[in-house]
Amino acid sequence: MIKIYSKMFLRTLFLQALWNYERMQNIGLLFVLKPFLYKIYLNEDKRKEALLRHTGFFNTHPYMSNMIIIVIANMEKEIAKGNCSEKVSEVNKIKSVMEGPLAAIGDSFFWGTLRPLMALISIFILIILKAPDSRFAAYGVLVPVVFISLYNAVHILIRYRLIFMGFLFDKKNIANLSKLDFMFLWKMGRLGKVIIPITVLFLYLKVFGFGPESVSSGANIQIIFKYSAVLALSVLVSKKFGSVPLFYGVILTCIIMSYLGM
Amino acid sequence: MENIVFLAFIAALCTVDIIAFGQFMICRPIFCAPLIGFFMGDISTGLWIGMIAEMIWINAIPMGVAVPIDASPIGILSTFWVCKYFMNSQEAAMWGLILAIPFAYLYRRIDISGRNFNIKIMHWVEKGIQNEKYGRINLGIIVGVFFFVARAFLFYVFAMVVGGWIYKGIYLQFPEPILIGFKKAWYLLPIAGLGMVIYNLTNVKPPFLRHHNHHHHHRHPRRNWNSPRFFHNRHRNIKILFLSHWDD
Repeated sequence: MIKIYSKMFLRTLFLQALWNYERMQNIGLLFVLKPFLYKIYLNEDKRKEALLRHTGFFNTHPYMSNMIIIVIANMEKEIAKGNCSEKVSEVNKIKSVMEGPLAAIGDSFFWGTLRPLMALISIFILIILKAPDSRFAAYGVLVPVVFISLYNAVHILIRYRLIFMGFLFDKKNIANLSKLDFMFLWKMGRLGKVIIPITVLFLYLKVFGFGPESVSSGANIQIIFKYSAVLALSVLVSKKFGSVPLFYGVILTCIIMSYLGM
Repeated sequence: MENIVFLAFIAALCTVDIIAFGQFMICRPIFCAPLIGFFMGDISTGLWIGMIAEMIWINAIPMGVAVPIDASPIGILSTFWVCKYFMNSQEAAMWGLILAIPFAYLYRRIDISGRNFNIKIMHWVEKGIQNEKYGRINLGIIVGVFFFVARAFLFYVFAMVVGGWIYKGIYLQFPEPILIGFKKAWYLLPIAGLGMVIYNLTNVKPPFLRHHNHHHHHRHPRRNWNSPRFFHNRHRNIKILFLSHWDD
């Protein structure tokens, strides 16, 4: 059975390979469940029935989907053993109940917290390496490597654990999920959220002025003032308009400043 | 040309990571821009481009059914163009970023039509299961990945060649003050990016915490999480919570 679970874990990497606007990850889910359903359903008709059951709508966060997959797999196992017919209708119900909240947790933890934090840590390293008098300028290749390995160390571990934790969960004790210490993760993330951007900002101010050459010119207070104005404005623009206007806005401002000779 | 085929293939593999396979985040500009820079012989420009694109598009990731513009074409294309035509020039790298954004919008269109095309494959697989041709499940996944890679590959070949001509042709016409402006922006954009990062980090909140907030709202009016900002962003927060059920 461990072999089947490992196979399922590898297959979850392809969950979104056939993402479509009608039923989203449905074929991906089927692809993950296929070896498991083949193992538990030896009767051809029942296997077909089970496969068809999972062609319906399915969409959640690709990492957190592992938890749903394993709960469904446990339910299918019960159904395959026979006796209670009521459960068949509940499989899809469980699926639709779990996908929303897990997607929200996944989006905000992995894509709203973990990925930006890992990116900021690698940017922090980049700024140290890029300092004008840095002795380590040749080690730039470390930056993407650090980002990828830090992020994936956490991500793959969680994804893998979610599949194998499935042994503990079935429909009856989904409530156990709430015992997982998400709050702890959140508090750690929150601490990093405050400290890391500020550290990166100060480091950047220290290392670069308005272009590296102006660091030595001694106009530090003016530079800090300019940078804080840009920072405050960009938070505002991000909030109101989003990424692309922010990007073009900064460039346009720079060109205007250059024409005005500032 | 051989070089373009190889690089477009690497770029396609990186871009496909965001949806079709894995989600190891090799699609993020902080990784893929220096990677292209490495193959072109200039990691350092790629790193800076990657840093800018990463921070400005920090929230650009498909959540639920929303498809934002993808940051990977921005990082990949601008690094490729600058390394090919104007190695080590910060002004030219800036121009690359500016020109790459319309191409990222183009890729987004291609991506959306690809996902619409997947509906047909999905129905073909479903029909196969009804007729007991279960091999179609695996085949459907293989075809899906293949089309994702093929689309991205063709897009990159097109963007690298055609975009390259446009890139080079226009850049040589810029007057001096615009180039000085680009140079200023090269150092100012990371700060603007940090503004974006700070805005995003303070606004994405996990749903379990939101529930918690609401519960204690009246009892602890002085707690941080009852800030007017939370109240002000309630629509955004709720949108994130239910995004997986939305259709746009």
